[in-house]
Amino acid sequence: MKSDPASSPTGIRNNIRTLRFMASEMTQQDLADRIGVSRQTLNAIEGGKYSPSLEVAFKIALAFNKPLSEVFEYVGS
Amino acid sequence: MSSSFEEKSVWVQLVSLLIVLGGYSIGSGTMLANGVMLLVPYIPVFAVAVVVLLLVMAFGYIAAALSGKREKPDERDRQISWRAESNSSWVLASGVFFALCALILQLQPVWMAHLLLLFWFASELVKLILQAVYYRRGV
Repeated sequence: MKSDPASSPTGIRNNIRTLRFMASEMTQQDLADRIGVSRQTLNAIEGGKYSPSLEVAFKIALAFNKPLSEVFEYVGS
Repeated sequence: MSSSFEEKSVWVQLVSLLIVLGGYSIGSGTMLANGVMLLVPYIPVFAVAVVVLLLVMAFGYIAAALSGKREKPDERDRQISWRAESNSSWVLASGVFFALCALILQLQPVWMAHLLLLFWFASELVKLILQAVYYRRGV
């Protein structure tokens, strides 16, 4: 399930929730610990309320072993 | 969505400032209204307010730390802080401008000091409110 761009102030859609589910239902806390942000920040990224830095975006993609374009998609604001 | 330690810290600062500096503003406002125009009598009142502020904030931080996992600020916390600071700095700049006007008009130092203090207080309040809003609404 992709985050809804209509409710997102960032204009960036992501697949993090789906990818977490497919990665043995990885929790937000597990992923947040891996990429070095708080669970609340990961929740904000997942919900489209915060655009992560390029570094964090790459770390998220790396955690799922996917290219960046399969995790994030720019849909405009 | 639960709050991070940083977001709780914002609320601790906001409530502490409102209670303590709000109390000081009422007290000093009463003194000004009663015609106390020397700066010296305000110094112990302000010193007490600062000590109480530090104590209230310390208790607030301890309560926030005990209520959940304490994490270091991450990039979102820093971005929220920078944006709130940037969008509230005009309040303090306005205070400096009005203090300069008070200097030109040769008002008493007690007015200039409280004008600056009032605008600094307002600037901090705007910054903390913006931070609280950005944490909820997103940046």
